Amino acid sequence: MKYAFFLGCLIPARELSYEVSVRKVLPELGIELVDMKGANCCAPFSIQSVDHASWMALAARNLCLAEEMGLDIMTLCNDCYESLLMVNNILKRNQELRDKVNQILSEVGKEFKGRVDVKNLVDVLYGDVGVGKVKSAVKEPINGLKVGAQPGCHLTKPKRIHFELLRGFNELDELVQATGAESVPYERKEMCCGGPLRDINDDLARQVSRQKLMALKDAEVQGVVTVCPFCFLQLDLGQLEIKRHFNEEYNLPVIHFIELLRLGMGMKLEDWEVKAHRIPITGILKDRL
Amino acid sequence: MKSVKSKNILGCLTCPLFCTVEKLESVALNELDLGFMGEVANTPRGKGILLCIQCGRCSSGCPIARLTSEHNPRRLMEMITLGFKNEVLPTQLPWYCLSCFTCLDRCPQGGDVGEVMFAIRNLAVRLGNMPAGVAAQAKSLYETSRVINPVRTALDRRESLGLSKITTDGLEEVQKILKRTGMDKMVKKE
Repeated sequence: MKYAFFLGCLIPARELSYEVSVRKVLPELGIELVDMKGANCCAPFSIQSVDHASWMALAARNLCLAEEMGLDIMTLCNDCYESLLMVNNILKRNQELRDKVNQILSEVGKEFKGRVDVKNLVDVLYGDVGVGKVKSAVKEPINGLKVGAQPGCHLTKPKRIHFELLRGFNELDELVQATGAESVPYERKEMCCGGPLRDINDDLARQVSRQKLMALKDAEVQGVVTVCPFCFLQLDLGQLEIKRHFNEEYNLPVIHFIELLRLGMGMKLEDWEVKAHRIPITGILKDRL
Repeated sequence: MKSVKSKNILGCLTCPLFCTVEKLESVALNELDLGFMGEVANTPRGKGILLCIQCGRCSSGCPIARLTSEHNPRRLMEMITLGFKNEVLPTQLPWYCLSCFTCLDRCPQGGDVGEVMFAIRNLAVRLGNMPAGVAAQAKSLYETSRVINPVRTALDRRESLGLSKITTDGLEEVQKILKRTGMDKMVKKE
């Protein structure tokens, strides 16, 4: 399988370890990634809040690039995923909006044709690679590690969109189990990490992630597994901010799913990648790093 | 007991039973903008407002409403329906929502409360109500085609790892698009 690789803004800027792990692991599982040249920002929450037409046109431009490449898009970030998926869905069905957006895009010589699909890393691992194949790729299962999985809001919500895609809502849990780790159910699993309010209302954003961390702590997990870079940032760096503002320490290491899988497949994380986690992961994954 | 009386209103007094808008007493009815609901409903993401039955399922599931009484999606829907334009658009009210879409799944009417939030934020921005964080991202988008840009150390690390260069190849087209939609003016204003 071959995908147009949509990196987004946050990952190449601040979470290089995520990108590196994806580029190392996916080819091993038979997924080829082709970088999208000239892609722009997906137009996330903040841009959607400013102007509707700009959101549609910017996301559609990215979809056009993928159409030109003839490949479906794979995103890593839930925000990019939601933005591109929604625009793709709307423009495929709503002729009126499609004409409007194409008028804007004609300015730059592009036209939305609706020929590609938008997928997320979890979609690709679960749907294309399959849990069975992931499991057999795990040479050194991470047995005995209890983690809480954080799929993030836009991987499963709004449900009516994802029902149409015939998605289960435990995909990430099944994938985590495939690495040998145990995905522990916890309260408020579907709750937001607070990330979207970062820089808009920092105090509330922190309080949301604090609630999430409390629920995780109550479930007695050893760590948190994320797929979205915003969730990672909010729960990992967020713990330091919570310590400063609320004087509470959670000490819950946060790790991206793909990094966990990489360790399970017997590949080591490099020193700088281990250090990219503000809450040290060395405690829970000692002998593997 | 809150009282609502006006020539335009039937006076059936059903609304005070459900109304929790504290300001209802202090706002004179002629200050209400009765076209506000229509204005919201006419935006691409605002149609859900027409379906609201004030059941409150959105508020009971909202992670922000749990933390602060300032944000209450049901009440916000009510304020829009009743025409509290000046109490909604220039204030902080549109900017509490996380867009986590919990309410979209919970609304029994398919009313898409979280989508209506985008509609009122779009209207608020046109009145100049844009938080600094959003303005900064919009500015960055217009100037570099991305909302977040890597710092020097990240760029150096990318190079040493042999990762693809972060380019702004799409910038010219992005600016053309934003000029066409008129968003460039909103960016410069801030």
